[in-house]
Amino acid sequence: MDSTLNQVLMKPEVRVGADLAAWLALGGGEGLANAVRDPQAIIPLIADADLRGMGGAGFPTHRKWAPVAAGPAGDKYVICNGNEDEPGTFKDRFLLEHTPHAVIEGALIAAVATGANHVVLYVNPHEKQAIAAVGEAVRQWRDLGHLAPVEAAIGGPLSLALVPSSGLYIGGEETAVISTVEGGFPFPRRKPPYPAQSGVHGQPTLVNNTETFAHVPGILRHGAAWYRNLGLGDASGTKLYSLSGDVLRPGLYELPMGTRLDTLVFDHGGGLLMGREFKAVFTGGPSNTLLTKHHLDVALDFESVRARGSRLGTGAMIVVSEGTSIVRKVAEYVDFFSHGSCGQCPPCKGGTYQLTRLLNRIDTGRGVRADLAALENLCGLLPGSGRCGLVDGAVTVVASSLQQFRDEYEALLVS
Amino acid sequence: MASGIPYDAARQRWQVGATPPKRADEVSVPDLLKGYHPDHGPRARVSLAVGVNRGDPCQPDFAGHLQANALIDDVHIAGAQLVTTDVLVIGGGGGGCAAALTAAKDGARVILATKLRLGDSNTVMAEGGIQAAVGADDSPQRHFEDTLRAGHFCGEPELVAQMAMDGPAVIRWLIELGMMFDLEDDDRPLGGKLLRKKPGGATAARILSYRDYTGLEMMRVLREAVELEPGITLWNRCPVVELLSDDHGRCAGAVVYNLEWRCFVLVRARSVIMATGGAGRLHLNQFPTSNHYGATGDGLVLAYRIGARLRELDSFQYHPTGIAYPRHLAGGLISEAARSAGATLINGEGERFVDELQPRDVVAAAILRECAEGRGIERGGQVGVFLDTPSLEKANPGILAKRLVTLRHLAKKCGHDAAEEPFLVYPTLHYQNGGVAIDRHGATGTPGLYAVGELAGGIHGRNRLMGNALLDIVSMGRRAGAAAAAQPADGGTLWGRAGIGHVHAWQRELTLAGLPLDVRAPQLFPTYAHFDLGADAGLGAGMPAHGVGGIR
Repeated sequence: MDSTLNQVLMKPEVRVGADLAAWLALGGGEGLANAVRDPQAIIPLIADADLRGMGGAGFPTHRKWAPVAAGPAGDKYVICNGNEDEPGTFKDRFLLEHTPHAVIEGALIAAVATGANHVVLYVNPHEKQAIAAVGEAVRQWRDLGHLAPVEAAIGGPLSLALVPSSGLYIGGEETAVISTVEGGFPFPRRKPPYPAQSGVHGQPTLVNNTETFAHVPGILRHGAAWYRNLGLGDASGTKLYSLSGDVLRPGLYELPMGTRLDTLVFDHGGGLLMGREFKAVFTGGPSNTLLTKHHLDVALDFESVRARGSRLGTGAMIVVSEGTSIVRKVAEYVDFFSHGSCGQCPPCKGGTYQLTRLLNRIDTGRGVRADLAALENLCGLLPGSGRCGLVDGAVTVVASSLQQFRDEYEALLVS
Repeated sequence: MASGIPYDAARQRWQVGATPPKRADEVSVPDLLKGYHPDHGPRARVSLAVGVNRGDPCQPDFAGHLQANALIDDVHIAGAQLVTTDVLVIGGGGGGCAAALTAAKDGARVILATKLRLGDSNTVMAEGGIQAAVGADDSPQRHFEDTLRAGHFCGEPELVAQMAMDGPAVIRWLIELGMMFDLEDDDRPLGGKLLRKKPGGATAARILSYRDYTGLEMMRVLREAVELEPGITLWNRCPVVELLSDDHGRCAGAVVYNLEWRCFVLVRARSVIMATGGAGRLHLNQFPTSNHYGATGDGLVLAYRIGARLRELDSFQYHPTGIAYPRHLAGGLISEAARSAGATLINGEGERFVDELQPRDVVAAAILRECAEGRGIERGGQVGVFLDTPSLEKANPGILAKRLVTLRHLAKKCGHDAAEEPFLVYPTLHYQNGGVAIDRHGATGTPGLYAVGELAGGIHGRNRLMGNALLDIVSMGRRAGAAAAAQPADGGTLWGRAGIGHVHAWQRELTLAGLPLDVRAPQLFPTYAHFDLGADAGLGAGMPAHGVGGIR
């Protein structure tokens, strides 16, 4: 098999589960030891490594860490977001179940870097194995006395806790995470103020995706140059790609950041089912735009995908072949959004519902031309009307499919 | 079929009324079965390569159907109409009707979709009767023991016990619906005791019947009840071509093809009850069948593809006395009543070669042995042995007219008088002993999917007793209907994604196992129907030209 496949996070020998002794025997903990030795050097090192937010934004990680570190002394929070509930994304649950210590160590390093005294692992309770492994892993860190060096570095007691999320899709939104950790319903909040200034109980808070934290121990242990060299071209590190849809071998693949789309789909995914033609791929889960067969040569890193007018997102790639209806897929995803809306912003609550209704009408052969026009109107009206990005995500996928596959919509209309 | 002794020569050796003694036979029953019954022998089974039963033995022809690709793909259902309901019942035989009636009485909205028309089923062909332990000298315990023993102890004791216990209640329910049963002769002007007969393999008189068309009488009342029930929407001529699944692997409905409108309809349902019957019309091992036109094993193929576990896939029941001549009636069933009344089986040399009251598998194997060893009788290219009805009539004058009405009618259709000329008979594919594995409520291994009747396995083990099929369909049909209607709302939501994702997973498995992707199932109709879904629905390229049978 390809030597670039599964070389860091998913390397078979590091999948030790909740066994902390086994993790330490593999060299785990070295990154944390390096971090404790010189806390001031961590954020520059992360910046040098060009680590990005793997939850979808691709935002440089150090730019989230720095304001929390610079915040006034007092309670600070580091939250590892493992809510993962987007269709087509299944990477965080793998990490939490098979290498929970990499994630926890990464979060502890973030605590050392920012001086945070609360570390929260926020995990989707629907992922039963993942939440069980994290619970056991957290217990071992606490009971075996491995938190002492961290407490010494931050100069006070540290709390390390597992908080089950609500299991709702909206609970993965950054400010909804904070609402849940405070004990409330996962209602997203208006930004600014950003969590780095005012997060949990008004304190500086860092929220990063599970995969982001999992990369941190390696960077601290092997250095920024090592991490940058893992990537292809200008991109650095590796990325977990969740490949699904009409491919022969769907699954989770850890590949160098910047791997081409056709390499992922054809070399690793085994090509399309039944020898059909490639039609499109929903990148990063459905809240991003479609890539079509003209984009098969795109390098799957944040900048390259953005240059093609789409976004890499979580690294989910839902492949659609010729013969699968784009309208149906879009209807399914928007239906997911409409049920995932928390309902506090009326344009989102009603808008996603209307989008679903119109898409279902067209998909089931009952749509007329006015429905298509209504759909386009909504795509113009709705963006930016919610506190969080949910309604924008729903509109993005509809607008993108309308732009690229308008003929499919037209073909389904009642003549 | 092997060649045999010419009919005229055999007729000369056979004499009416001269019942010869049974030939002294050197072959033991186990050897007879092993050597001649289609369930045995080196080519009787293959190992399945894909699906939940991977590695399990399966009848070879049937394996071809189970391991076939789906008839449709996403492209064919784009823009299809979507209908939602609480319970979707697939199949319009006795099992489907019992399930639909019970679910509707419990308050569920029901759609009953049937491939042919309501009542076109094997239920109406059940001549013998229905078993139920209602006699003072009988008990459900004995019924349980008889059923389990007949099935070679391969049935699920829990399921068998439940069916035996259900027996009396099932009869009461059928009587309440208006079904007639034969009554004992007594001097009451109205009502009376149910007439009980003793079935082969049972220890007590337990068969309740109405003349020799009990199943037809049962279907008569079930059909009326279904058509009058406002909670049931009936869709005739609507075969199911694929099931729908959701993200969690639940069965979420089905893709129905409307033969009249020539279009696909997607049915979203909280629960799906399949009662599609057996697979006789697949003509496994190239046998003729006693089954009705629609028995093409659709439900088994679809249930297997969505992930339900099957069982006893290598065990089928061959009824010993199917019509062998004339050819256009081949496979048609001659009721066991003839043999239990005393009719004998005679080979081409004028010999009696088997005890006719042995279990069905033994008698069938004995007939196959005679034909394979050249002692069969050949007429018009068809081979078989004689079923000696003239001698029976001679010994019991009037029996054909009084007790074996259907038999006499059948002889007329075959072009002879049953009192003058013997039937030419050959074993016929009759019943699928195994099927989809179910629990006590008929639930399969796939959440949201129930299986009822001949489609389901586990009750009859590896051999079924006469009269237990009719009891099975009503008992399990009512239980599955109640369970499906009681399915809590959150157990089967009607929103969210439902599609044919399981078909894509299945295509993946087929590709990785190196199996052909151009073989399609379910077959929907026998090969000689020349039905082509692709052409019928006007789908054009990408659709199959033949079912499995056509390719073989």
